[in-house]
Amino acid sequence: MQTNNSLWELFQKRGLSRRSFLKTCAMITGLLGLSPLKCTEVVAAAEEKNLPVVIWLHGHECTGCDESFLRSQTPLASDVILNMISVEYDDCLSAAAGEPFEQHFKEIIEKYAGQYILAVEGGVPLAENGIYCMVGGRPFVTVLKEAAAGAAAIVEYGSCSAWGGIQSAKPNPTNTVAVSQIVGGTTIVKVPGCPPIPEVMTAVIMHFALFGQLPPLDTSGRPKQFYGNRIHDTCYRRPFFDSGMFAERFDDAGAKAGWCLYKVGCRGPATYNSCGNMRWWNGLSYPIQSGHGCIGCSNNGFWDNDQFYERLPNIPISATIANADTIGAVATGVAVAGVVAHGALSVVEKYKRQRQSKPEEERRP
Amino acid sequence: MSDGQLKAYYVYSPWLRIFHWLMVMSIVVLFFTGLYIGNPFFIGSQGLEPTYAFSERLSMETVRFIHFAAAFILVCAFVLRVYGFVVNKGDRLLPRFWTKQHWAWTMDIMLHYMLLRASHKPYLRNPLARMSYLGVYFLIGIEAITGFTMYVMVDPKSIWGQSFSLVNSLLINEYYVHLIHHYVAWLIIIFAVVHIYMAVRADFMEREGEISSMFSGVKFLAHQPVDLGEIATEEDSLVRYWDNIARDSRPHSG
Repeated sequence: MQTNNSLWELFQKRGLSRRSFLKTCAMITGLLGLSPLKCTEVVAAAEEKNLPVVIWLHGHECTGCDESFLRSQTPLASDVILNMISVEYDDCLSAAAGEPFEQHFKEIIEKYAGQYILAVEGGVPLAENGIYCMVGGRPFVTVLKEAAAGAAAIVEYGSCSAWGGIQSAKPNPTNTVAVSQIVGGTTIVKVPGCPPIPEVMTAVIMHFALFGQLPPLDTSGRPKQFYGNRIHDTCYRRPFFDSGMFAERFDDAGAKAGWCLYKVGCRGPATYNSCGNMRWWNGLSYPIQSGHGCIGCSNNGFWDNDQFYERLPNIPISATIANADTIGAVATGVAVAGVVAHGALSVVEKYKRQRQSKPEEERRP
Repeated sequence: MSDGQLKAYYVYSPWLRIFHWLMVMSIVVLFFTGLYIGNPFFIGSQGLEPTYAFSERLSMETVRFIHFAAAFILVCAFVLRVYGFVVNKGDRLLPRFWTKQHWAWTMDIMLHYMLLRASHKPYLRNPLARMSYLGVYFLIGIEAITGFTMYVMVDPKSIWGQSFSLVNSLLINEYYVHLIHHYVAWLIIIFAVVHIYMAVRADFMEREGEISSMFSGVKFLAHQPVDLGEIATEEDSLVRYWDNIARDSRPHSG
């Protein structure tokens, strides 16, 4: 396909009307989480800015983020890939192309040096010189460093790429780390989630494509418009939480009536994502709506925050399981027993001492 | 009893005492409402929809409101503690842990508590206890920071949300903030158990008015306290206080 066209040029080539172009721009504005007033800026950018060249790498991961991306509804993933961005390299979608494609990769990173967007899915295994993830016969970490050197921006798609992911769960045998721990210093945006919401994935790349800069980021490096709010604060089941109506088990009347899943381990109160307001599959549903608590898949380290069906994690102590509150209660009990014993000993000591130091008649006048 | 005479020493300002009891009340409220929030239940009938349930006697919203109100009272009450520290010598915040003497006194107290030393030197304020109070302020500080992090992130765009979101990124994710909040709450309760016991024990063993001092501000000692210069001065508070009491109780004579 033609690269380095603007969106408007592309519309004209396809014989599409100005009206449908403006409608597309309005849609993109909403999709990016921007104020409607920004629509004119989006139109201006779409008229002038060249479509971005994207290199898409896959590391230590399950390709679930690809699966999610392919299900983007507004815009359709096919539209994004074929019309809105210019994906020059995606080792997963083009695996059948083989060696010539690897040659193409080398050409692209030279031709568009300093201009392309590098989208990365998957963590970076470092143990044993990175042999746990080989791409085109080379360790992924090598490929990543090569591609990152000339990238205008790096998008970390998915929790593996943003935080290290499930394969970095304790004890992390492959020593997998996040992409940003390998390539610092460049503009990096984290789009965590396991997988991220498809519309969020397309929106972040469109934001960079149109404005040439990353969307505003929070302290963890995630775009604020998608990862600003807790799922708990945007959840449609929040009124049940405020009223104290909780499903106690997954098979009780509360669960059936759609009550809050807080007590069966929902991680919504600690998770920042757009599931509560954007939802999935074009706003169709999200995990809590389908009756399963959030597992906090966009959180750093969520894989170590098990049990997913308990409010507090179980801490394995030999031959028993306990959570923070059980441990606290036991420790307080021990403290009470301790002070009682100490008190008794102190009293005994005191009377012993008094008996030794004073004769009988002085003590009892 | 060296001379058979108890001497009154004015130690705690009213500000510190008010702070202490505000802290006691808010910690009790925070702890029990916190336990409820961690494991909520419902009393009464609730129906299937939350439309009217929130106005019931016990709802998550009510209990959370009480929890937040108590938290604000606890944090604001600390102003009184600092004010007392400024105006009154006895309300010292920091033990003098840069001096050798402080550690010698602490060792003295510790040996006594381990029942290895029959009695300890007379102190106006127990040096070991003072260090533990610093520790409990630290624990309350952790509770305040983690608590406010969870509280303000309802509005991440606000100035508070923007500053406290850093806590979430520093502690990996907000789930750990919840966990730390739970564990430290129990540490504070364990402190309270030991603290109450130690206060009762001191009152019982030494009979210096340890417990009533947190109401009246005055302690009664038979011996000259070794930390007199640090906590209160002979000329200033205690003698005058003792004299005033003596003058008030003196019968009028022609």
